Amino acid sequence: MNEPESPSLLELRGVSKSYGGVAALSKVDFSTHKASIHAVLGENGAGKSTLIKIISGVIAPDEGTVLVDGKPASFDSPQAANAAGIVSVFQELSVLPDLSVADNISITRPPTRLGLIDHREQRRRAEELLARVGCEDVNPRARVRDLPLSRRQMVEIAKALGRDPKLLILDEATSALTAADVDRVYKILHRLRDEGMALLYISHRMHEIEELADTISVFRNGQFIRTFAKGACSDEEIVQMMIGRDVSNVYPPKPVRETPPEPELEVKSIGWTDRLFDISFKVGKGEIVGLGGLDGQGQREILLALFGVLRNVTGTIAIEGKEGLVSSPVAATRPSKSMALIPEDRKTEGLMLPMSIADNITLTALSWLSRRFVIDRTAENNAVEAMVEKLKIKVGSTNDPVATLSGGNQQKVVIAKWLLTGARILLLNDPTRGIDVGTKEEIYRLLRELADAGTSILLYSTDYDELIGCCDRVLILYGGRIVRTLEGDAITETNIVASSFNLPLDEAGAPAAETAS
Amino acid sequence: MKPVSQIVRSIDKPLLFAGIFIIAILVVGTAYTLIVDGTMTLLSPTYLILQLKVASFLGIVAAGMMIVVLMGHIDLSVPWTIAASAMLATAWGGPFAIPLGLGVGLAIGLFNGIGVAYLRVPSMIFTLGVNVMLRGFMVMLTGGFSPSSVPTPAMLALAKGDIFGIPNPVIVWVLVSLGIAFMLTRTPFGRYIYSIGNSEAAVYLSGINSRLVLVGSFALCSTLCALSGILIAGYSSKAFQAMGDPYLLPSIAAVVIGGTSILGGSGKYSGVVAGTILIVLLQSVLSVMQMPEAGRQIIYGVVIAAMLLAYGRGSRLRV
Repeated sequence: MNEPESPSLLELRGVSKSYGGVAALSKVDFSTHKASIHAVLGENGAGKSTLIKIISGVIAPDEGTVLVDGKPASFDSPQAANAAGIVSVFQELSVLPDLSVADNISITRPPTRLGLIDHREQRRRAEELLARVGCEDVNPRARVRDLPLSRRQMVEIAKALGRDPKLLILDEATSALTAADVDRVYKILHRLRDEGMALLYISHRMHEIEELADTISVFRNGQFIRTFAKGACSDEEIVQMMIGRDVSNVYPPKPVRETPPEPELEVKSIGWTDRLFDISFKVGKGEIVGLGGLDGQGQREILLALFGVLRNVTGTIAIEGKEGLVSSPVAATRPSKSMALIPEDRKTEGLMLPMSIADNITLTALSWLSRRFVIDRTAENNAVEAMVEKLKIKVGSTNDPVATLSGGNQQKVVIAKWLLTGARILLLNDPTRGIDVGTKEEIYRLLRELADAGTSILLYSTDYDELIGCCDRVLILYGGRIVRTLEGDAITETNIVASSFNLPLDEAGAPAAETAS
Repeated sequence: MKPVSQIVRSIDKPLLFAGIFIIAILVVGTAYTLIVDGTMTLLSPTYLILQLKVASFLGIVAAGMMIVVLMGHIDLSVPWTIAASAMLATAWGGPFAIPLGLGVGLAIGLFNGIGVAYLRVPSMIFTLGVNVMLRGFMVMLTGGFSPSSVPTPAMLALAKGDIFGIPNPVIVWVLVSLGIAFMLTRTPFGRYIYSIGNSEAAVYLSGINSRLVLVGSFALCSTLCALSGILIAGYSSKAFQAMGDPYLLPSIAAVVIGGTSILGGSGKYSGVVAGTILIVLLQSVLSVMQMPEAGRQIIYGVVIAAMLLAYGRGSRLRV
């Protein structure tokens, strides 16, 4: 490890931590410095989260020492770490949905007057902090529940800044953000760094790290691998360090088609309240169609409307030529529609976390795994085994609670649940959020395999790379309308970004097809 | 290695605790009777079978309550569901008293289920309201004149008869228990009940008619209450207004002592049976020991709290 001249703000020496015999971190030496943005990279299970939890006082290391400003420190609680100036923004949002934005921001230390909460002062503070993260448009009185996920994340960052951190830890803090927000967050983070703050940044998005970090550390399987300055290693080298093997092609090749495939799903002028207007498009058999654009432009609503979750949807859809809106998820999963939805939040909407992996996988298929209202256990076990094998889900026993799996494997369970039903139309709502590179790659390959086998896939993703790499076509939404359809070589980052802001495309990448809005 | 871990998992903590506690109650009670009268009444088959018979009324109610609690809901209309079904069965039933009583229970359950599943009223509020409504109806019915409250011969036979020395209510309880345990572990309906308790959103988005499962479960719960009401009416030779009152809290306690999470989603049926027996024995032994009513209630409350402290916390996964 090369020692830079500036003194370490935080240093870990020989830190180890195991859970039930499994080493999550072993003998890690790690240090970070003032006025720097330090990215921590690694797959899920590499030990990043454990590292962060030790630094922020959530758990205590089994051995080794933590030094802050060169002095040994042992935090027995997150409060103690906060007092030492270490503040974390966690991947799992920790804002309370039913409290107002201002309440959330000042939750730990509300300003008081005569022992009562001073709401005016609290709002003023919230406005100030929101302005600092560039979110002047968020009303401090608004309930957090009513904000889109990306705004909630910004509130979370504002809340962290309210604790005057010396070291700010961002754990997957941008995974819920849209491109525009990410840019904003970059500016804020750079400014914070220039003010002398140390930032520890954890993300699965490679290009973010390139733009943001000064220093990069890589972890793999609980081991510290290497720390280096930005630019010292190429992307390929970094990825290889992370997964310990060569990834030449993250995305499987797209098929070349002479003629457009026959349409499986035709959406005809769908509308919903003031969120969706006149949405029409087709998804062909074996096609992967992407939904892009800024977050909250109606992409989620399209998926929910198609799946029958929303009430009072106007317009109609046709599946294999048969017209008729889907009235409920029950109707959507009938053989005549044969749809499947991978929901946005796998932990609450996709899985029953305390239940077993097997129970989760077979939930949707129970009716045909049963004979005369009794579950056929042999058939069920066979189905579970087949899915675990097919999706390479890393499980100890399929009777273990699904909560014991890593995020990527949990998402595989959600997918397995639907593969078992043999759905012909697959709707995916940001399926790779917070999932490690290795698993992402497996999911991309799986999606392409499914498409090649004839499944029609509609994929919403907040990650532009994913849309570019996976999709045959990308529909860009803006204000609840499809403003552009990008196809083939026109699916580029520049075009997606330009279309997302409803700007004209540059000459080089003229749109392949344009939909009147 | 796998079989060992499976055996360890199959002996679940609540069942073990309840079992140990049941034995402890019997030991303490017997020690008391030995010292005072020099007898071992509590260990006589007559006493134990009588306790099982008394337990069967509570056990059948607790079986229904468990299903509702597993989904993260609760049924507070139990007391008047019991009373209303028994009273209507005896008053109007005639030869069809038993099916009529069960039908009343079913109707109340469907009403509860529709309120919770379709109108989306929290079950705690809705069933509490239904309980008060039922009381109103019954007072209206019996206020002006007093209809017959004498059980039919069939009800009497069901509650008081026995087969080879085993009281009929116990047989009914055993059959109900086998049915519920089978339903919970082996049928899709049972799996959906556990799933809803863990995440109703996930079940709904999996294309399962979660509302129908809710309605079905509430209907089943109230029907079981009605069955218990019919047995209680037969056992005490009449249906009366307060007959369901002593069953609400003990049934919830039996479910929770048996290891079912009050938040829903986890718990085994065997625990509910153990919880029921524990509560009935505890009540009985305390009265054998001639504990004053106040002392009995204190001990009863302390035991429930202590059992839950022993294993109720942290039994749910940290997620």
